[in-house]
Amino acid sequence: MKQPSFHIIKPLLLSGERSASRWFSFVGLGIGVLLLLLAQQLFIDIQALVKQTSIRKNGFDYISVTKQITNDNMGRDNRFGPADLDTLRQQPFIQGAAPLISNRFEVVATAGDQIPFASDIFLEALETDFIDTVPPSFNWQPGQPIVPLIFSSDFLEMYNVFAPSYGLPQLSMETASNVIIGLRCEGQKGAQVFRGQIVAFSDRINSLLVPKSFLDWANEALEGLPSANASRVYLKTLDANSPDLLHFLAQKNYRVNKEKTAFGRSKQILQGVVAGLGIFGILVVALALLLFSFYLQLMVARSRDNLQLLLTIGYRPDWLSKQVARRFIPVYFVVVAVALGLTQLLQYLFHQVIMYNRPELSSWLDPSVWITALVLIGLSVTTNWRMVRKLLYGIR
Amino acid sequence: MLQIDRIRPSFFEASTCTHSELWLQRIDVEPGERIQIQAPSGSGKTSLTHFLYGIRKEYIGNIRYDEVDARSMDADAWADLRREKLAVVFQDMRLFAEPTLRTNFEIKRQLTVHHPESVIESWAIRLGIEHRLDTPAKLCSYGEQQRASIIRALLQPFRWLLLDEPFSHLDDANAKKAMDLILEESERQGAAILLSDLEIVPQYPRTRLLRLLA
Repeated sequence: MKQPSFHIIKPLLLSGERSASRWFSFVGLGIGVLLLLLAQQLFIDIQALVKQTSIRKNGFDYISVTKQITNDNMGRDNRFGPADLDTLRQQPFIQGAAPLISNRFEVVATAGDQIPFASDIFLEALETDFIDTVPPSFNWQPGQPIVPLIFSSDFLEMYNVFAPSYGLPQLSMETASNVIIGLRCEGQKGAQVFRGQIVAFSDRINSLLVPKSFLDWANEALEGLPSANASRVYLKTLDANSPDLLHFLAQKNYRVNKEKTAFGRSKQILQGVVAGLGIFGILVVALALLLFSFYLQLMVARSRDNLQLLLTIGYRPDWLSKQVARRFIPVYFVVVAVALGLTQLLQYLFHQVIMYNRPELSSWLDPSVWITALVLIGLSVTTNWRMVRKLLYGIR
Repeated sequence: MLQIDRIRPSFFEASTCTHSELWLQRIDVEPGERIQIQAPSGSGKTSLTHFLYGIRKEYIGNIRYDEVDARSMDADAWADLRREKLAVVFQDMRLFAEPTLRTNFEIKRQLTVHHPESVIESWAIRLGIEHRLDTPAKLCSYGEQQRASIIRALLQPFRWLLLDEPFSHLDDANAKKAMDLILEESERQGAAILLSDLEIVPQYPRTRLLRLLA
């Protein structure tokens, strides 16, 4: 079926074209889309920025506690015994407690021929559930010459601070992972050399972690002693800022490493704010589409007689609604494109000016933001077309 | 085929239609037929045109186009029928007021491009409105508008042509010219004509006469 050009009937339809409500709705749509796209990009940025320092895992906070060292208790054994651990585990606001057990033999670390470095170090072990980054290779069985290590990223940072003063090379995480560390372990019952390899970095645990199976074996085999009381205990809790927990710890005179907890919390708050911004953006988009539907109703009402006559002389409502709706596609496209462009500009400035030293961020928009923009164009065009169609079929 | 199957306006009592030759009768309109419906004022003449053209539905009974019940047709099906098979000249003309006569014709012609653009000019000359082609319809006289609405109706392909008092604003000479054009185009297309008027139209070579209320 041949169809006429829209050109000839265009003057019959668009009386009231300069209606203010139309422009308000376009501006509103632009603002809504901008808010929505910005919120999405910010959400992604925040994820990228705090990914490496997140202390939350599976919805729990993980915090470490030590006994407060004061002048009064300085001489005593300030480690956590089985009774202390039981008391901790019995508290309703603590979902788990794991001691950070340590070596009872001497350990000297060397960095091989490449880096002239040797130092007495300590090794610790913790239940894997409490560690933020556990690769599958983090396990050890007797007879295995290579011991996997999880290294504190803070320690690496500290090393990189003092290394130049000692003529040592600074190391990236990737390079550090490739360095084979000589571990000379010596106790009452003998000595043995192992090769250590860093398999992961931990942001949460300031220690040099080895698999618990290695430490249990080495304490027994080299020193003849079982792994014993720990000076640090990790707690797993739903809310590290719970007043009950803080009150309990203060009463026990335990000291909490809370800096990272606070960071985890502020990330949550930030994400909450950004999610709120996104929801606000969605509301503005919905309002703008609603306003535009009022404009369409006004337009159809104003040209009702002409539209009715067009239908009377044989114009299909289906074809007419497509033609009218099509006229607005470029406008929607431009509105969303402008909002997308502004979001891109703001992201670029955010990265280049405010967060210029954060390689984990990108100056460019995440592909998902582009997808959202396309979805919004599709949504606007479809809503618009359905509205026009409904109005035209309502005329008869 | 068009079948008018025992219809009557729902706003008429059945008893008032008993003497009608159309209301409550079964009428089969054959191709090429020229039916005159003669109807005094208030007998439902314009309502009949509107029922047949699908813009009003307050009737009892059935109207079928090629076996399809008119009531079952949706807006797009009506548009298809009006574009390809069913033409009309309304009593009240119904032209677009602001556009010129030429634009009014083009809006119709472009729907099917059944006739070339040049036909507009030649028909306008035949009916004597060529000097008004570029005048907005609302500035034309009723007589000119009536002739324009006849031309518009003929610019499409059709198998049935509904004429509702098509010459009410024309003198005899102009009515004759319009009738000739209508007959010529209807015969060319093999279409049936249903002409409704208050009186019997002498220049219309009818094949059947139906009195709406006897």
